[in-house]
Amino acid sequence: MDDLFPTELTAHLEQIGEADIVVGIPSYNNARTIGHVVRAVSVGLAKYFPTRRSVIVNSDGGSKDNTKEVVLDAESGADDLLLVSHPVQASQRISTPYHGLPGKGSAFRTIFAVAKRLNAKACVVVDSDLRSITPGWIELLAQPVLEYEYDYIAPYYHRHKYDGTITNGIIYPMTRTLYGKSVRQPIGGEFGFSGKLAARYLEKDVWDTDVARFGIDIWMTVTAIAEGFRVGQAYLGAKIHDAKDPGADLTSMFRQVVGSFFSLMESYDGVWKNIHSCEPVPMFGFPFEVGVEPLTVNTDRMIHAAQQGVSDLREIYSSFLSPQTLVDLTNFVHRNGQGFHIPDPLWVRMIYEAAVAYRHRLLDRDHLLQSLVPLYLGRTASFVLEVTESTAPQVEERIETLCQVFETEKPYLAQQWDAAGKENLHAQPV
Amino acid sequence: MRSLFDRMFVDPFHRLADQSAQVVPILIMVLVTLVVGGFFAFVFRWLTYRLLHLARFDQLVQRTGFASIIDRTGVFRSPSDLGARFVQALVWLLTVLFALNAADTPASVNLVRRFVDYVPNLLAAGLVLLLGVVVSRMVARSALLAAVNAQWPAARLIAGGVRVLVMTLAVVIALEQLHVGSVPLLVAFAIVFAGIIFALAIAFGLGARDMARQWLEAKVRSSVAEEEVFRHL
Repeated sequence: MDDLFPTELTAHLEQIGEADIVVGIPSYNNARTIGHVVRAVSVGLAKYFPTRRSVIVNSDGGSKDNTKEVVLDAESGADDLLLVSHPVQASQRISTPYHGLPGKGSAFRTIFAVAKRLNAKACVVVDSDLRSITPGWIELLAQPVLEYEYDYIAPYYHRHKYDGTITNGIIYPMTRTLYGKSVRQPIGGEFGFSGKLAARYLEKDVWDTDVARFGIDIWMTVTAIAEGFRVGQAYLGAKIHDAKDPGADLTSMFRQVVGSFFSLMESYDGVWKNIHSCEPVPMFGFPFEVGVEPLTVNTDRMIHAAQQGVSDLREIYSSFLSPQTLVDLTNFVHRNGQGFHIPDPLWVRMIYEAAVAYRHRLLDRDHLLQSLVPLYLGRTASFVLEVTESTAPQVEERIETLCQVFETEKPYLAQQWDAAGKENLHAQPV
Repeated sequence: MRSLFDRMFVDPFHRLADQSAQVVPILIMVLVTLVVGGFFAFVFRWLTYRLLHLARFDQLVQRTGFASIIDRTGVFRSPSDLGARFVQALVWLLTVLFALNAADTPASVNLVRRFVDYVPNLLAAGLVLLLGVVVSRMVARSALLAAVNAQWPAARLIAGGVRVLVMTLAVVIALEQLHVGSVPLLVAFAIVFAGIIFALAIAFGLGARDMARQWLEAKVRSSVAEEEVFRHL
């Protein structure tokens, strides 16, 4: 584990000794926004955990814009606020480069290692580009772990109806369907977890995979659920972040997140195949209505991407989609404007058949995941067109309907997953 | 004294008979070898076909995409048929070599020796071609996916071009292995390829300046618009 730490960090950790709470902030060229995040975290620790020993760890990917200096120099903000109780223990700050593949997952690995080294009871991670973070987030993410023996706290936000489409269209419905826990934001980016779970994460040999990049969020959530750790959610209000995520190219992001999810399906197939119902996950915090920023969506561009994909990638699709799915896809995708529509059952079939193809290696896995991007854009356009006039609660109902289709079709997934030979794939649907 | 008749007809006949006595057994052996070899070639073809069929070779090839290429040739019924015929041809080749060796004439022995010396080159060339097919397919598919996800209109054309390039390189290397004049082919390819690029550049630069400007403007605009788009995660 110590090989993850530069000498300077090892010395610093020895000096600190132990901590109750570790708050990790991964970063890469986030000087513009990270100061606000560090201030919010410092105030949160001072206000809600004045007697706890706490450490803020910035795990940086080699920023060139003084991110480190901003982290270390940011004012705690505690003096500017009326705190109910003054902090007995001031939080320590560390800014350190991480080792391994460049990406969020590698940054988290260093944070897990620091938490383990300091024997932390609770650990919280927050994104460095957040604009809506408040000190209260730290309380909501850490307190269930410290006070109520929860192991994993996922965030629950209000988001714009067009925002988080990989979450709404694939990851949330599938996490819920496969693992039976209704975690609404499984790849939210902000999490609280126990020191025990951090140590468990470190035991896994996944740091040379997409988990080291954007796959980390779903990997943490699924590992916690599938391995029986106690899971909860915390209501954090609205999630607003910086306009552009550095290096967040859609194709690689999609590939890393969905690829990690499919890979986890292989690791935990003994778990998800035995789960036949979904249960709600306890929520901490007080839900309230918040305004969300308006978003621009160019559906024409997405429809065009889907149509081009279906035309140009037909050979690839025919190697993993069943003949009926391919026919339906072709029929639905080549309608233009308001007539363009990818219905839920077709979308669910495509995702399930892709997961099965991933497991059976029907084609190169990277190619398979890349080929799903045009289909995802098509589905996103279809969803946007459908909910243009809908209110937020109506959109939630719409997502609930999609989840039910995922659940209804789960036996088809299980049957295809276990097909004795590749030739038995795409047998008659159950 | 021997008669003119003997010298004109009997002696040549005796010489022919002597030579035939040496050649005919060899010819018979060659013929028997060819017939037996032909039979074995047929048996091996049948056995290979059955084995490949049992091993579901056709389904395997179907997924790699080679099946469509085989179909397009119109010569082979299936990938298993192609494999079986390849084995048959191999047995036939070995039979012919065996027969030539059995003939034991300086020319046939020399031919066999030269062929055997050439076998490593043939194998190397075959391997290079096979690798070329596999690599060109992988690279072309990667290019196709990248182009489609970047929403380039000529995605398939780009992928096809990439495939042709990689295959041409493989063919040139294979010809090099076979000591067949690969240099003229390489030079011809370079000239044609450079000519195409040059012609396209001139055509685009002179004939489509406005289009180029509009395209660049559209790219800049779309990258600005991209920043306004929602988050996916």
